[in-house]
Amino acid sequence: MATAGERLDPAAIMVTALSRLLCDGERVFHGVASPLPMVAILLAKATHAPRLVYINITGSIDPTPSRLPRSTTDPALLEGTRALITLADAFDLSARGGLDTVFLSGVQIDARGRINMSAIGDPARPKIRLPGGAGSAFLLPTANRTILWRTRHDPRTFVEEVSFATGSGNVDRVVTPLCVFRRDPLVGRLVVESIHPTSSPEELTARTGFALDLTGAPVTPPPSAEELAALARVDPQGMHRIEFA
Amino acid sequence: MSKVISLAAAIAAIPDGSSIALGGNTLHRSPSAAVHELIRQDRRELTLIKTAGAYDIDVLCGAGCVARLVVAYVGFENLRGMALRFRSAIETGQVQLEEHTCASVIAGLRAAVQGIPFMPLAGMTGTDLASGRFHAVANPYGEGEVITIPAIRPDWAIVHVQEADGEGNARILGTTFEDALIARAARHVLVTCEKLVSGADLARRPELTTIPGFQVDAVVEAPGGAWPASCAGYYDIDEAAIARYYELAAQATPERIRAFIGEQAGAGQRVTVGAR
Repeated sequence: MATAGERLDPAAIMVTALSRLLCDGERVFHGVASPLPMVAILLAKATHAPRLVYINITGSIDPTPSRLPRSTTDPALLEGTRALITLADAFDLSARGGLDTVFLSGVQIDARGRINMSAIGDPARPKIRLPGGAGSAFLLPTANRTILWRTRHDPRTFVEEVSFATGSGNVDRVVTPLCVFRRDPLVGRLVVESIHPTSSPEELTARTGFALDLTGAPVTPPPSAEELAALARVDPQGMHRIEFA
Repeated sequence: MSKVISLAAAIAAIPDGSSIALGGNTLHRSPSAAVHELIRQDRRELTLIKTAGAYDIDVLCGAGCVARLVVAYVGFENLRGMALRFRSAIETGQVQLEEHTCASVIAGLRAAVQGIPFMPLAGMTGTDLASGRFHAVANPYGEGEVITIPAIRPDWAIVHVQEADGEGNARILGTTFEDALIARAARHVLVTCEKLVSGADLARRPELTTIPGFQVDAVVEAPGGAWPASCAGYYDIDEAAIARYYELAAQATPERIRAFIGEQAGAGQRVTVGAR
């Protein structure tokens, strides 16, 4: 039986919120540095989406890894795959409209869902050079939808406007330790879909760098006992927590 | 004819100012032994090309070997975090960065592979990476326009593979990453391998030979040659070594970097075997 502590663990709330956004049968991709998406996809396949097609940057399809790696381009993610594609194949799939959902992140994410993974300050001579967006500039406009995730939620991360847009495009949802945002296609801005039970409207307003309308925003349902049991099975070492370290 | 030579001789053939595409991805099948030899021979003014790099790009930046980077990501993923020497090299202006997205690196390499000056690429809208750099052309056959990426033609491709024969036929186990592409796009190819195998061995499963020998200039047997990165079927990431490197990278000196890369010797014997 799940304890209240397990049900209110921010990492478990985030990974279940990400998992619930995935649909059975869709083709889903993650790249490098993506432990939470890796676990969320495996969790979805173990619960409500057994026929989801799991594609990742190693080129494996529907792997059944016995050990989850810290690096999400590790050969551990090859175990159990019956086919191997290349990264170029995965990009081509996205280019021709065949990739349903991609997971991406941003060091900064703005009110319109644009991400900055490149630089803080003048990009030519930055104050802080960031790692770069890897596949994001191409995948954001080509994948049918993108789910963003970020384990930090503060006014420097969620900003009104990024100073440099590494990429922008078909953002559908953004999952953070405080809430789930959805992008309203009519106004093109992030709006709060639900507030996690561990947060509050006051905290969310204080820690977001753009204006929010929280009227009537529901509470994110906490992880169910079934979800927590499946999470323990697919991720016994707790890789969904390492981004919080 | 055998192309097997020493690592020192292979790297001596790569002059200062060369552009080099590195094989592997982040901390997997990086051509680390060759990277370390570039540092030992104090190669300068290099341009490095890769979709997603980590230790390899960082240590070359730290050793002062690099003038320019053509990359989409440099970082230690969730093992550590930001690549400290890469970051410092860009922030101080020591290294010039041509920031890409992985798909545009691949598109540029594909143009070189096909012998054409540029490659059209889908998407690339809504990104400041394209501004003023990647030009759109009108579709000559119908409506609309498409972004193009100029050809990326490296002087050298350096790949570390599991098995190769003396003529350079190279077999990659597991993910090939962009190794097959860079080996076709580059003017010259250096293959380092865990193990030299016979041509007869490769002839039993020729479909597993990702890089044909006729494209390869030199072959070096380098057991443990990806260390501290992983090499699928041979060994996992040496996380303890990555942790030691990351600490020294915070206050890197040429002496400390040389001491660290000296640990490569014997890495082939010491490394733990993972998914073999």
